[in-house]
Amino acid sequence: MGLTAETIERSQNAGTAVRDIYLPPERKKISGGGVPHVSAKKFSIYYGEFEAVKKVNADILSKYVTAIIGPSGCGKSTFLRAINRMNDLIPNSHTTGALLFDGEDVYGKFTDEVLLRKKIGMVFQKPNPFPKSIFDNIAYGPRLHGIKDKKTLEGIVEKSLRKAALWDEVCDRLDKNALSLSGGQQQRLCVARTLAVEPEILLLDEPTSALDPKATAKIEDLIQELRGSYTIMIVTHNMQQASRVSDYTMFFYEGVLVEHAPTAQLFTNPKDSMTEDYITGRFS
Amino acid sequence: MIMSGEELSSQGRSSAFVVSARQRKWQKISKTAGESTLLLIASFVAIIVFFIFFFVTRDAVPYFQIRGFKEFFTSTNWYPADDPPGFGALAIIYGSLMVTVGSALIAIPMGITAAICLSDVIPFSVRQYVKPVIEMLAAIPSVAFGFFALVILAPLLQNFGGTILMWTWWVIVSPFLLLAIIVASELLSAKVSDEKKRKRLHTFLSVVLGIIALGLLFFVGNKLQRIEILTGTNALNVSIILSFMALPTIVSVSEDALQAVGRDLREGSYALGATRAETIVKTILPAASSGILAAVILGIMRALGETMVVWMASGNSSHIPSPWFNYLESVRTLTATIAGDMGEADQVTGSARFHVLFAMGLLLLVISFICNFISERIIVRQRKVLSGQ
Amino acid sequence: MNLGTRKLFDRAFTALGFGSIAIMGMMLIIVLAPIVSKGVSAIVFRSTVEHRKMLYSEFHRGNRVSLEKEIAASDAARRPVYEMLSEFEAELGLMDEDKQQEYKAKLDQVRTAIKALLGPLPGESEPALTRFKYGQNRWEKAEEKLKELVYEKQWDYSNPDIAAKEYFVSRATAFEGTSLVRLFPYVEKNIDKMLLPEWTFYWGFITDSSVDSHIFGGIWPEIQGTFFLALGAMLFAFPLGVIAAIYFTEYAREGFITSLLRSANSTLAGVPSIVFGLFGLAFFINTLKVSESKSVLAGSLTLAIMILPTIIRAAEEAILSVPKTYREASLGLGSTKWNTIVTVILPAALPGILTGGVISLGRAAGETAPIIFTAAVSVGSAIGLADVFSSPTPALSWNIYNLASEHEAAAEIRHVQYGMVFALISIVLMLNLSAIVLRARISKKLKG
Ligand SMILES: Nc1ncnc2c1ncn2[C@@H]1O[C@H](COP(=O)(O)OP(=O)(O)OP(=O)(O)O)[C@@H](O)[C@H]1O
Ligand SMILES: [Mg+2]
Repeated sequence: MGLTAETIERSQNAGTAVRDIYLPPERKKISGGGVPHVSAKKFSIYYGEFEAVKKVNADILSKYVTAIIGPSGCGKSTFLRAINRMNDLIPNSHTTGALLFDGEDVYGKFTDEVLLRKKIGMVFQKPNPFPKSIFDNIAYGPRLHGIKDKKTLEGIVEKSLRKAALWDEVCDRLDKNALSLSGGQQQRLCVARTLAVEPEILLLDEPTSALDPKATAKIEDLIQELRGSYTIMIVTHNMQQASRVSDYTMFFYEGVLVEHAPTAQLFTNPKDSMTEDYITGRFS
Repeated sequence: MIMSGEELSSQGRSSAFVVSARQRKWQKISKTAGESTLLLIASFVAIIVFFIFFFVTRDAVPYFQIRGFKEFFTSTNWYPADDPPGFGALAIIYGSLMVTVGSALIAIPMGITAAICLSDVIPFSVRQYVKPVIEMLAAIPSVAFGFFALVILAPLLQNFGGTILMWTWWVIVSPFLLLAIIVASELLSAKVSDEKKRKRLHTFLSVVLGIIALGLLFFVGNKLQRIEILTGTNALNVSIILSFMALPTIVSVSEDALQAVGRDLREGSYALGATRAETIVKTILPAASSGILAAVILGIMRALGETMVVWMASGNSSHIPSPWFNYLESVRTLTATIAGDMGEADQVTGSARFHVLFAMGLLLLVISFICNFISERIIVRQRKVLSGQ
Repeated sequence: MNLGTRKLFDRAFTALGFGSIAIMGMMLIIVLAPIVSKGVSAIVFRSTVEHRKMLYSEFHRGNRVSLEKEIAASDAARRPVYEMLSEFEAELGLMDEDKQQEYKAKLDQVRTAIKALLGPLPGESEPALTRFKYGQNRWEKAEEKLKELVYEKQWDYSNPDIAAKEYFVSRATAFEGTSLVRLFPYVEKNIDKMLLPEWTFYWGFITDSSVDSHIFGGIWPEIQGTFFLALGAMLFAFPLGVIAAIYFTEYAREGFITSLLRSANSTLAGVPSIVFGLFGLAFFINTLKVSESKSVLAGSLTLAIMILPTIIRAAEEAILSVPKTYREASLGLGSTKWNTIVTVILPAALPGILTGGVISLGRAAGETAPIIFTAAVSVGSAIGLADVFSSPTPALSWNIYNLASEHEAAAEIRHVQYGMVFALISIVLMLNLSAIVLRARISKKLKG
């Protein structure tokens, strides 16, 4: 088992677009969506000498949910974090090729990564609320970007919490320490915190791996709610989750994007034999 | 409904994350400026260290220019106020050495055993209460220890010195003797193969060795009791107090070293049927030895550099005790000399009398620098070894 | 070795460890117990009427009417003593030359002892030094002085092998057959009527300034000086230390410069405290001339560089213990690095940073050697805030040394020394205690 030269060749020289949109009946088409929001062009990410993501070509379509799957260590997180330049935190990591967001190079000379991260929000594997009150957690981003007015902030906090389906649970204790919430609530709080800065893209790195099934279901519902308003990318190890929540799926193996297709197609009729082996659980 | 990237940007959607070249340049400049400011502030410490060496050396050099090196290091005539003056610091250096060694003799065994006890013996719940004790011991100001040494310990030593020495001897030595008797009689009788004979020999040996040990205890104890301590402000007093000031450092740094050894090694040893003492002595201590060495060096440094206790309670007489190991005599140390003589030397800035104190300071500074350097190297090396690099 | 012996060794080994820890705990108690008990007695003690007189005339405290009543009562009890003295003087005039000589010296001793006990004799001119204006302020001291009056200390040199031993003889025997014999039993019996001891809580010990170099009064100038010096040192060292720690943890890239700076930090931590004193004298006073001579400013600066490494280390540790996820979350929301540090990392690290700061504050307050040449004076009144740039100050740590080792009446004012040590230890341990409490709250807060 391993990558064949053919697969690599196809992956690294393919066009970026996912042309054929095939959505099962239960997933509605989104009007105004479906334009390439993020495009990777022969995009590689290195840790020192090590090429963790290899010459990826892909278009991530706007307003739809894209899942990223693949065995552990294949570069899913690396790719995701590259999109809002979180990898800048890691010393001596660098990229080659191009990554476009709204047609502009994310790694271009004139990119302000702070403004970029405002547009591209991220939720991490483990819920990581700040040790502040719930209100201050949500208001953190807006305050950073200059909103001081108490009324406006309150409005933003409520709106974000509602969007994250958390408002009803916490509306009477906004001044409590966020760390006193349950794990699932904390994770939705993190989503709300991200939504409060009004990003265009939401990156979720295994957002449910630290949660129990019930909390997981809530997050999945939330993703369905947000679909159509945000471009969402979610890394997951759970094949069922990927097929439940996503419209498109990317399958990575050892840093190579093996297959990128509509979810329904990828799970029922994979083009690559590696993909088939992986989703049928022949290796992991 | 699918559009390519080019189409998108031609539609003029916001690319809010891209800034103009000028803005970017300003961002870069302010970032570099900010980081340089931080670096400047962080290098303040290095600048100070340099300044300390520079200024202390600057005021020490004139002494050696006036009087040369030989007298300072070889003579014991310390009469800086006389005419002609004597600047022989040998006895003073020796005094520093003496109290440092004395306190190390007390603090090292106690500190290491206490650290072992803390890291390997005491359950976590008890440890929570022991740690504050050590921290409090570390927090007590040196002048309070000095006051204790001068006002409480010194009169005690002077009035009841012999008795105190005797009891210390008994309390400390008798458990060790007892242990030695048991082990020795066992080892000596182990060769006899007949069970009955061996038991008899064992009892016999125990009794004989016990009598010898008791005799030794009383003989030495009596001798000690008859000792008259002429002055309570002496090297022994100072060594005792300094050892307690060095202890917290030794304990906490060695405990860190012991903890760093990790559970695997411990479990490996226990799994082979070793007792706790054997595990510690044969496995953990060797692995942590360099860290413990660093702890000891740091602890000793505290004793060497301590001023107030020695100034108040060492008696401040600059002579080499006779015999050279007589801890019951007064001594004088470098730190106490600097503290005590500066007041009078102050007015005569420029004279050898003023600069000789800086020479002493330089000596202390150099010693502490070397010790610090060594201990730091040791700690770094141990960390590397333990992390398997 | 058989198993039994091995086990025995194991036990002995354990006992050794416990023994060491027990000795450390005992040492702490042995040091603290007398300091606390005798330190408290500087504030709570049985004061005599002399103490109240002193308070009234030196500090204008006390009730005039009741004090006058007390003085009248004690004078009534004292009158017979003075009468006996003058009676004996008259008797002395009638004796022959030899006897006169013999008694005169002894009478002088008695007079001195009475003056020490009760204050100046009636009809004497007002003494210049305040310490001679009043009798014994404290009852336990009065009892000591009484013993000196009634008994004479003599030395026994009969055994040349050992040091001379002291013994006491009653003074009354020396005056056998004269009228003065009656004086000793009278004083012994009526001493409490002459001095009227009563329990007092002398809070002025903390808030009063000293009178006649600590013979009377309190230790406020020292306490204030200690606070000035320690807070001044903090003012310089704390911001510097925290910023340096931020640099080391967030910005420094591993390399030659960083490791050099780190070594400098540990070198500074190892410099003996007296060398800081020398440096402060040579640099701040003689070179920079921050002040003419010793000053609070020079002392604070010297103390500041002494505690800098501790603060840096504590702050570094606190910042490093802030979870990485906070950093990511904040940056992910579009925060700048500096903003992240200020709004997320520092608040989360604050308890740890403060713990280090508070412990350093305690160290600065307790340290003596660095301020000997740079800031401390033995006697002086409390200085104003405006004077910190130019004038030196008394400070607890230095004055403990000074009173215990260099004061001309060190043995007479042990209670003041104990009180000072107690005050200093209380300040330092209180700071450390609050540090421990702070630290306990960190984990609580981070757990939610
Ligand atoms: N900071 C780093 N420095 C060096 N190599 C790294 C670093 N982070 C990740 N890697 C390497 O890059 C590769 C991809 O890592 P990545 O975290 O993206 O995997 P992943 O697909 O997210 O795995 P998982 O499913 O376990 O989260 C791995 O081989 C990993 O060892
Ligand atoms: Mg991952």
